[in-house]
Amino acid sequence: MGVPFVPTLGYAGSDVIKDREDFVLAPNPFNPEETVVVAKAINPDVALFHGTKGDLQGNVLVSRDGEALMIAQASRKVIVSVEEIVDKIPQDDTDGTFIPGIHVKAVVHAPYGAYPTACPPYYEMDDAQMKRYLEASSSDEAFSGYLREEVFEPGSHDGYLDKMGLRRGERIGEPVG
Amino acid sequence: MTQAPDCTFEEFMAVLLSREVRDFETSACGALSFIPAMALLLAEASHAPNGDFIILDSPAYNPFVGPKDFHYLAQRGQLDLFFISAIQIDRHADFNLHLIGDPDAPDVRMPGQYGTGLLYYAVPRIVLFRTRHDRRTFVAKVDFVSASASSPKGMARRNKEVVVITPMARMELSRELGLLELASVHPGYTLEQVQENTGFELVLSGKSEGEARVTPFVTEEELTVLRTVVKQRMIETDTYGDMARSKIRDP
Repeated sequence: MGVPFVPTLGYAGSDVIKDREDFVLAPNPFNPEETVVVAKAINPDVALFHGTKGDLQGNVLVSRDGEALMIAQASRKVIVSVEEIVDKIPQDDTDGTFIPGIHVKAVVHAPYGAYPTACPPYYEMDDAQMKRYLEASSSDEAFSGYLREEVFEPGSHDGYLDKMGLRRGERIGEPVG
Repeated sequence: MTQAPDCTFEEFMAVLLSREVRDFETSACGALSFIPAMALLLAEASHAPNGDFIILDSPAYNPFVGPKDFHYLAQRGQLDLFFISAIQIDRHADFNLHLIGDPDAPDVRMPGQYGTGLLYYAVPRIVLFRTRHDRRTFVAKVDFVSASASSPKGMARRNKEVVVITPMARMELSRELGLLELASVHPGYTLEQVQENTGFELVLSGKSEGEARVTPFVTEEELTVLRTVVKQRMIETDTYGDMARSKIRDP
């Protein structure tokens, strides 16, 4: 990416962009009588996302159902956690979107790194845990309790997986279900 | 015929929505859209056999990999009709999918509008629908404008028509007046009942010659196609199959 802004169709007249300094109405430079909505570029210093595979060159494979490649191309530092590390991901791997290692600063081997959300084909969403998260999100007090039990007390990602009874290594690499 | 055939609420709404779909056009609905999906497939199986249909929640009717592909198609003007539901719709056909109450301290926050703010500009014909017709939905002014039917001067806008379908009535946006006009009242309801359940003064459509028109009855033919071809197709293609089983009756 690296462009200063992107023109878009729509949103004008709505409250969505009313108080937003990153959306402005501007003349279309190629047709000055026409007004378009222009969105300021987001150029993150750091981007974090989860993928399925990483390889020794830092290439990663992520779900095609998302905009991870665009995020990687827009950000200065990209850190990707993955379910498994392989020797080499082919550029034409059809299991996901290939992100070249040149965009990637670090690859982190983090099995169940998307849990309790899904990371197909490795695991599905854990509906019971998502329900617990949603219920905990209803108040500051409940959410503090959730963070204490699920994040701080386990102490680490490994500690959390132990608490959830998820065994690393055994199922990773084998599609579930 | 003096009385509409007996049908489920979902069947009734789907028939009304399907009548908005035209042949040779590309028509679509988003996620969590069981009733519009039924409507699209009913149109395909009846009066719009040459149409293209996109149902984002259906593997068989979603040609895209990611959401931006769908929005680019719409921005290019290649999507003719899209169905949108909203929690509030006002007299100017502005709609709200964001929150209820004071925007700075809302009583309820909703998931938001996804891409409808773009689609309301990009798609020539928008059908707004709601499964209830009451004063909580049809308000004089929405609490939050997720998307506006009116545009600032000079704004590029491809949308030409806005239709609103509810369980009681059909409305159309008059671009000239900038107001929703009552186009027809469904059989079984009176103009007074519709007005009673609408939080703004209803304007009769210029086409109605001083009297509210009656929406044509749901026909036996529409219901038969829905209960045979459409129901089977939804189950076979995993297009809201479980809901089709429970909400569409057997022929």
